[in-house]
Amino acid sequence: MAPVTTTSALPPVRWQIPPIDPEQRWIGGAAAAIATEIGVQPLVIRGSFVVLALAGGWGLVFYVIAWAALAILNPNLRAPYYPVAKGETTVHRHGAVAMIVLGLLLGLRSVAFGFSDQIVFPVGFVLLGILIAWTRRDDEAGLSAVTRTVAGVAVGVGGGTAFIILVTLSADLTAALLLLVVAVAVAGGVGIVAAPSLARIGRDLDHERQERARADERALVAAHLHDSVLQTLALIQRHATDPRRTAQLARQQERELRTWLYNPPSPSSQPGTVRIGSALEDMAAEVDATHGVPVKVITVGDNSNVDHTAIEPLVAAAREAAVNAAKHSGANHVDVFAERYDDRIEIFIRDTGRGFDPADTAADRRGIAQSIVARMRRAGGTATVHSEPGQGTEVELIMPLSAPNPTTTTTTTRSDP
Amino acid sequence: MIRVVLVDDHAVVRAGVRAELEDHVDIVAEAGDVGDAIDAIVAAKPDVVVCDVHLPAGTASAVIRGVVDRGVNTKFLALSVSDAAEDVIDVIRAGARGYVTKTIDGGELLQAVQRVNDGDAVFSPRLAGFVLDAFSTDLDAPADPELDRLTAREQEVMRLLARGYAYKEIARRLTISIKTVETHASAVLRKLQLSNRNELARWAANRRIV
Repeated sequence: MAPVTTTSALPPVRWQIPPIDPEQRWIGGAAAAIATEIGVQPLVIRGSFVVLALAGGWGLVFYVIAWAALAILNPNLRAPYYPVAKGETTVHRHGAVAMIVLGLLLGLRSVAFGFSDQIVFPVGFVLLGILIAWTRRDDEAGLSAVTRTVAGVAVGVGGGTAFIILVTLSADLTAALLLLVVAVAVAGGVGIVAAPSLARIGRDLDHERQERARADERALVAAHLHDSVLQTLALIQRHATDPRRTAQLARQQERELRTWLYNPPSPSSQPGTVRIGSALEDMAAEVDATHGVPVKVITVGDNSNVDHTAIEPLVAAAREAAVNAAKHSGANHVDVFAERYDDRIEIFIRDTGRGFDPADTAADRRGIAQSIVARMRRAGGTATVHSEPGQGTEVELIMPLSAPNPTTTTTTTRSDP
Repeated sequence: MIRVVLVDDHAVVRAGVRAELEDHVDIVAEAGDVGDAIDAIVAAKPDVVVCDVHLPAGTASAVIRGVVDRGVNTKFLALSVSDAAEDVIDVIRAGARGYVTKTIDGGELLQAVQRVNDGDAVFSPRLAGFVLDAFSTDLDAPADPELDRLTAREQEVMRLLARGYAYKEIARRLTISIKTVETHASAVLRKLQLSNRNELARWAANRRIV
């Protein structure tokens, strides 16, 4: 044999006796080794050995044989051992379980301990049921896990009950008490079997619920994308020959998608108040949709909501200025810049279009400019229009914000001395 | 001619940018992800890299750091659809000389590339707005007054940029030279890159896309 054989990353799947950590062994490590290999609790194997030892000493014999096999067949305990993955040796494990149960039944019968068949068989069935349920793989889920648990419980309860009924048919008086003990034992066994399995099933259901929530979320996103983005893409294809309309559709969709992705409606916002930024974005989207000119909004200091009544005339004036720019300036876009200060909001609406002469009273744009100025004045703010032919137009809006507390304080201190 | 490398994971976007720029600059290489971009930039040593902010397995700041680690000196212009403050601030602080959005038109993009190549800063109105927002809180005790505050003039320049003014319009309005406007813009960029004020990072993280 070559000194270096294949060092495959995959563990060999075969029946072998595992070396047992000295801390895990009680006597020779035979029970722990068997338990590790077949994937059951060492206590089950140890209990079996004890019962068999009491049953005419067979347990001791089996133990010595197992220990000898362990020492002879697996002398190199330092060799790497890959535990056979749980569930990959189901045939072996089921075989072992069946053997153990059979051994237990036979042992109990031969010793008899004052027990009769009335006890041996129900207990045997319950144990068999427990073991069937315990052989479940960790990653096993859904139907097969349920099947296994149900099978375990059915074998335990069914077998036990059937035997009790048989016994009861030929019952004498002492059997009645015995019956009670057996019934309690069966119920206890069912509880032991069912509890961990039910917990596991509960976890699985929880997992499934999360999966479903995720699927729902995906469906929601898909539905939204279908209603918005895919529709717009279809529209764009139909309007492919009209670049202006295409660009407008794309901008509209971009705006809408950004809002949906990054600005979900916040339920905590107070009614009657609004963010200046989102109010202006809505205005920009509307002007773009109506007049086909992109309106770019930049906001600074937009940290909290502002009372709706203060914002409304301001946004209306900004809309009028933006519409004016979109309709008359010939510029390819309109810039809107808003800055919120502690005591006021400033908005600038600017285009780089043809502009006009504010002194020229005949110009219709001047009339509109005046209406913006009048609107702002009525609302307690100011509006200034800067324009020059060929230099574009900029409308400046300033709206003072009533800061309730500082104003009162100032008045009080003034009247004090 | 200015030698340019294009980095964007969408071939369609690269083709579009190439079509807009190739008559005026020399596009020496293209790349679609962080690793390829670093290799291409190190090999080509371009004057300017036009780089998308979001790339597969990384961002433009990873490209900038990777290139700097390999000892290559080049200038970056970030180009992105994302207007998230966090991304913008991150890429500027990694060393990009400017940030523009993909909706920029061809002429403006060319101007931005030329300006970055000249060592100046490029502020889109959006980036100028971010800067104003990030530096708006007054500090009682700034750690470094030189870096943590904008001067009144710098604020004025940023406001006009945010209002959509071009450099030459700002120069005319403030009756200063274009070179002076550029000096102010570069000074603000430097503050943005070097200021350690905690508010900057926190602000960028909290600020959502408009």
